[in-house]
Amino acid sequence: MSAAETPPQAVVLELRGIVKRFGATRALDGASLRVRRGSVHGLVGENGAGKSTLIKVLAGIHRPDAGSLLVDGRAHAHFDPRQVERLGIRFIHQERLLPAGFTVDEALFFGQERRLGPWLDRRAQRREAERLLEHWFGLRLPAGALVGELSSAEQQVLQIVRALIVKPRVLVFDEPSVALVRSEVERLLCIVRRLRDEGLAIVYISHYLQEIEALCDRVTVLRNGRDVAEVDPRATSPERIARLMVNREVGELYPKSAPAPGAPLLEVRGLGRGRAYRDIDLRVRRGEVVGLTGLVGSGAKELLKSLFGLAPPDTGEVRLDGRPLALRTPRQAVAEGIALLPEERRRQGVALDLSVQENVTLAALPRFSRFGLLSRRAERRETLGLIERLRIKSAGPQATVRQLSGGNQQKVALAKWFARRSSLYLLDEPSVGIDIGAKAEIYRLIGELAREGAGVLILSSDLPELLGLCERIHVMHRGRIAARFEAGEADSDKLLAVATGAVAQQETSVHESIPG
Amino acid sequence: MSDSYLDPRPARLSWPSRRAALRLALPALFVAILAFFALAAPGFLSLGNLSSLLLNNFVLLAMVAIGMTCAIAAGGIDLSVGTALDFSALAFVALLNAGSGLPLALGGALLAGTLVGAGNAGLIAGLRISPFLASLGSLFIGTSAQQLLSDGGQPNYLAPEARPDLAGARFFGVPLPLLAVAALAAVYGLALARGRFGRQVLALGNQPLVARYSGLAERRIAAWVFVAGAFACALAGILLAATVNAYVPMSGNAFLMNAIGAVFIGATLNRHGRANIPGTLLGVLFLNVTANGLLLIGWSFYWQQVATGALILLVLVFSFVGRRPGD
Repeated sequence: MSAAETPPQAVVLELRGIVKRFGATRALDGASLRVRRGSVHGLVGENGAGKSTLIKVLAGIHRPDAGSLLVDGRAHAHFDPRQVERLGIRFIHQERLLPAGFTVDEALFFGQERRLGPWLDRRAQRREAERLLEHWFGLRLPAGALVGELSSAEQQVLQIVRALIVKPRVLVFDEPSVALVRSEVERLLCIVRRLRDEGLAIVYISHYLQEIEALCDRVTVLRNGRDVAEVDPRATSPERIARLMVNREVGELYPKSAPAPGAPLLEVRGLGRGRAYRDIDLRVRRGEVVGLTGLVGSGAKELLKSLFGLAPPDTGEVRLDGRPLALRTPRQAVAEGIALLPEERRRQGVALDLSVQENVTLAALPRFSRFGLLSRRAERRETLGLIERLRIKSAGPQATVRQLSGGNQQKVALAKWFARRSSLYLLDEPSVGIDIGAKAEIYRLIGELAREGAGVLILSSDLPELLGLCERIHVMHRGRIAARFEAGEADSDKLLAVATGAVAQQETSVHESIPG
Repeated sequence: MSDSYLDPRPARLSWPSRRAALRLALPALFVAILAFFALAAPGFLSLGNLSSLLLNNFVLLAMVAIGMTCAIAAGGIDLSVGTALDFSALAFVALLNAGSGLPLALGGALLAGTLVGAGNAGLIAGLRISPFLASLGSLFIGTSAQQLLSDGGQPNYLAPEARPDLAGARFFGVPLPLLAVAALAAVYGLALARGRFGRQVLALGNQPLVARYSGLAERRIAAWVFVAGAFACALAGILLAATVNAYVPMSGNAFLMNAIGAVFIGATLNRHGRANIPGTLLGVLFLNVTANGLLLIGWSFYWQQVATGALILLVLVFSFVGRRPGD
């Protein structure tokens, strides 16, 4: 590696007091990170703690508002993507970013092709591709195979080799194990250790605290855009790291509701869908707020989508009010009175260039029309009522939703389902990206819904939120419900321990590898 | 429908001040052009010229552009408007020449034109092909089919005894073609601006995913949009055939570019930058007046085309300049 001139254990990369604002929100609020040569540095934090923003600053995608980036002690105010490559910093992302239609050698050398004069030297490229794969990972792959035909693990390896071709000094792994099964994760860990021994500085981002413990020499915990601790994961329990990650302030954010659950509304039995999730049993009664959590890749998100008709399950059954449902489209789900508040609010939740009124009535148009013509007066009346009830801050029913703040956009997305008089609310990360004031109001509304007899299922990675709102919390890990907690018996540490796999509660078998 | 870049859509304007200025700029430009031709082109303001402009140029393009408005409002585009028009004209002439009565000929023509839209609808909603590609396919197939059927483009004339006087007919002193376009504009305009269907189209055109996640039948809506668009074009086909007393193969394609231009001009007039029927009609008038005036001051057909193109470009540049930066 080209880092030979640097003394061992020297700090290769340092981020100092990075601040990054988006509008009024501070995604990063003075975050620092020091990565040494020949070491693996873990980076952990809850969703929204600022990990991905930090990585984007490092990749030169975002320019920080304050702070500096140091490489070998030389300070930069910001990076740009080309510079990052020149400095030898490379990234391995969780999603497979290599084009499926490329062959192995094309994918490896894309943008860094081997040339012979003005032409591509395909033969040299193929030979080198096979040699590199064999050399680094003992992997025998024909260079002519298509990327799309490879397994997730093989594609991951391809990404790593691709990064290694330019002899990097810093390698950043951004949740690399999410798409892998357990045996593949073990392989990945071996690979990372080997790279470390070769003298690379490695940043390893993961939700899985086991991996952090098994791999990292140091770990930085990020919370609210700030590095709150740097510890040695081998000397620190996963529970303590989890505690450092979780925001402790809970306060009066959550409505105090006296739960008086009614008849069963949603009953899920033995539900499964491919590799996404299996054996899911779940029940939501009227008047009940039920929580669901799990890391990326745990299957929780897929499960929620299935309940809204977006990803039909293969096995098991779903009952609503006792009637069996076979939901294949969101349209059927909406017709049954099911509402989804999607996490990708600005893409899926609200139509940004439509007015508040047009958004609010969108799922309930028949209620506002006669003979196919809309009654704007009826629409306006309903919208004004909901603006008041949900305390939507806007210039009125005709204001364009794009102009509203994130929290108010979320309220509009919710108001749409209020107008539809939905009975089952599926909320996907309902408070992500909204300020604390709007958060409290969303929570108040969730409480109101339950009191009015609706059922609410919240998928969230914000654990204090689940603990504050839910009567029961299901924790998913690698496609199964790994544990259920009643209100009062859970705390963030326990939830996170199950979600990260630090504690395998009620889980009988580990994730077996998939044949083929 | 997708958010694919293949689906051109009206540039949505979100920057209030510039947008307001733009909305004034266009009508001002229109008035300026009118004034210019009134002074420079002798006979421009004469009753004969104006009524011929309305009856011969405005009516047909307006109908096609109304059809196009539907597709663009839904976030797509319909490249086969001309094909629908031609098929309708063909059926109309063929049926009348075969001795069937006017009602049957009308019905058959409307059906033939609308079938083109139904074909698009099937491709778009059934096979999830983008509107651009689906209607491009229909355009190619439709053009080739017409060449095959007409010996490479020979016109098919209406027999003198079978000629219905539709183009010259009047009701209460108003020419029938004007009434037809008024009725079409009223129904489509109402449905798009005030109807439940129009709201669904709007949501689909703006953010297809939100439409889907709100439980709208997005594919059915898209299908109806293309059927309705083709119906408007079929009406234009009947009128064209009745005006020239013939079916002239591939004559519909001449309307395609102007129809798209008119819809985009109309969209820039809307407060939210949405495709809308009144705006489209104004856009059509804008293009008609320009072409007519240039003709009167002696510009050749080809220079008229250049001027029309430049005008559309100007309007679109306006609308992009008016967009919020970084949007």
